[in-house]
Amino acid sequence: MASSQSTMVGAGNPVLKWLLRLLVVGYLFLLVAWPSGYIVRRTFEDGTQSFLDALSDPDVTHALKLSVTVALVAVLINLVFGVGMSLLLVRFEFPGKRVLSALIDLPMAISPIVVGLALILVYNGRYGWFGPTLEDAGLQVVFAKPGMIMATAFVALPLVIREVVPVLEDMGDEQEQAANSLGANAWQTFWRITLPGIKWAVVYGVVLSLARSLGEFGAVKVVAGNVSGETTTAPVLVQQKYQNFEQGTAYAVAFVLVAVAVVALIVVALLRPSEHKTARARVGAGKEPS
Amino acid sequence: MSIDVSGVTKRFGDFVALDDVTVSLPTGQLTALLGPSGGGKSTLLRIIAGLDGADTGTVTIEGREATNLPARKRNVGFVFQHYAVFKHMTVAKNVAFGLEIRNRPKQEIQRRVEELLELVHLSQFRDRMPSQLSGGQRQRMALARALAVEPTVLLLDEPFGALDAKVRKELRDWLRRLHDEVHTTTIFVTHDQEEALEVADEIVVINDGRVEQIGSPDELYDKPANDFVMRFLGETTDLAGQTVRPHDIEVAMQPGGLGATAGTVTRILRVGFEVRVTVTTEAGDDVLVSMTRTLARSLGVEEGAKVWLTAAKGATTVPVMAAV
Repeated sequence: MASSQSTMVGAGNPVLKWLLRLLVVGYLFLLVAWPSGYIVRRTFEDGTQSFLDALSDPDVTHALKLSVTVALVAVLINLVFGVGMSLLLVRFEFPGKRVLSALIDLPMAISPIVVGLALILVYNGRYGWFGPTLEDAGLQVVFAKPGMIMATAFVALPLVIREVVPVLEDMGDEQEQAANSLGANAWQTFWRITLPGIKWAVVYGVVLSLARSLGEFGAVKVVAGNVSGETTTAPVLVQQKYQNFEQGTAYAVAFVLVAVAVVALIVVALLRPSEHKTARARVGAGKEPS
Repeated sequence: MSIDVSGVTKRFGDFVALDDVTVSLPTGQLTALLGPSGGGKSTLLRIIAGLDGADTGTVTIEGREATNLPARKRNVGFVFQHYAVFKHMTVAKNVAFGLEIRNRPKQEIQRRVEELLELVHLSQFRDRMPSQLSGGQRQRMALARALAVEPTVLLLDEPFGALDAKVRKELRDWLRRLHDEVHTTTIFVTHDQEEALEVADEIVVINDGRVEQIGSPDELYDKPANDFVMRFLGETTDLAGQTVRPHDIEVAMQPGGLGATAGTVTRILRVGFEVRVTVTTEAGDDVLVSMTRTLARSLGVEEGAKVWLTAAKGATTVPVMAAV
């Protein structure tokens, strides 16, 4: 420990240490805290009543409800597929595994707008690849909820997987093999051994994707179109209201989005230390000689 | 015969882990699979357990064809080198796992868990989490967990390999006593010849994916099938084209013995009561001889002395394999 501390940047130099702290805090303040704080200030500029009025606007309640529905469904889908794909990536060997692993990061890399456009190209009711067939079967994807859910799920896909994969790798498969030799089938092994082992990673991933899904703007805006407010989610509404000079409403909705994100981060922060502690206890115990 | 492995071959890519292995392991005994690391012994154990599949060959457990049976249906207890404890369960829950999977009545499970914890001396730790146990305790818990389902065979993969020397020795004695109590057919993998010789009823020596010899510890020690087995079971040296143990070489200070090898003492190392003498023969080979301090003094062995070496009468010797 002592040796690793002495090699740390700025160790033993209080001036440098404070300078670095100031730099980081200043950076975060200018980039994150101040602008976010301004939203809060603007929201409550005219007292809480205008905030409550804004929230009782039917457009607003509809948009918030829609956002929550889309986000919840997308997170549920990502939960199931995310855990499944993580298991596939960690526990199985197959050709093309590295390609799949790289593909999973794709949503992080490409612009959400492009995701929306791509979905329109494929599922569009008039000339898309699947669109006409699905529309004949009575399922409208683009400019409706299914498309918005797909876009959201696409964008938030890596969040669960990137949380779960390292924990699964770290856990190894010996516990699962032991369960197998004790008579557990694949399903029992998953529920009793694997899932409890990755529980916190899954929760963490879900909270992150929930926050991401609620705030998704670009992909959803492209896919949702604007069917007379029917497909307007909260972030899209913020933009519309702001451009229509209804800044009060825009700030109120923006505040709700910020509040949800902050709560999500607090939840994560509360979960994290407990996970950290058990991980440390595990490492410590593993080092015991006997 | 309890476990019959017949013609089993296993490859990992180009590497042949097991090459047409056929071996029968007796019921109710404690058998050691002994060999150097990477020799295939763990692979054989995992194939018996069903954790790995063989490329060719068959496995029969107590007369039941098990080659294509998944691990969970073989009713084997498996103990891993690194314990594989269920980290999120208490000690009692760990031990109860196999019984709960089998949907046994609650009371029976509780009774059996108490019994087993008693057996492995962990009763007072029943509500602890595995992270609060020492390595030796964790391995005993893993053993109780494997025994809970009353397995047909108990398989242990280097069970004491991750423990320090003292705990290792304790657990080794304890395993022997436990086996004398429960009589479950037990197979354990080890690369430690002392562990195998001390604990096992029967030893299977495996090297390079092949079975070198099967026999009791005495048989292996007294009649090794080849120089590999002999070298693996303890210290050896080469004398006149034979592999022989250093303490089985007789030293004469005068010529005369039939077929004696002449040489010069080049180095003497004293370790407690034992003296290790290095003799360089006229052909230039080094031969290691060990004897008691008393004998060395009475013979007058010292550096530079001329000596004549013969293998003692009745000593175990094996021809040295021609170097390829």
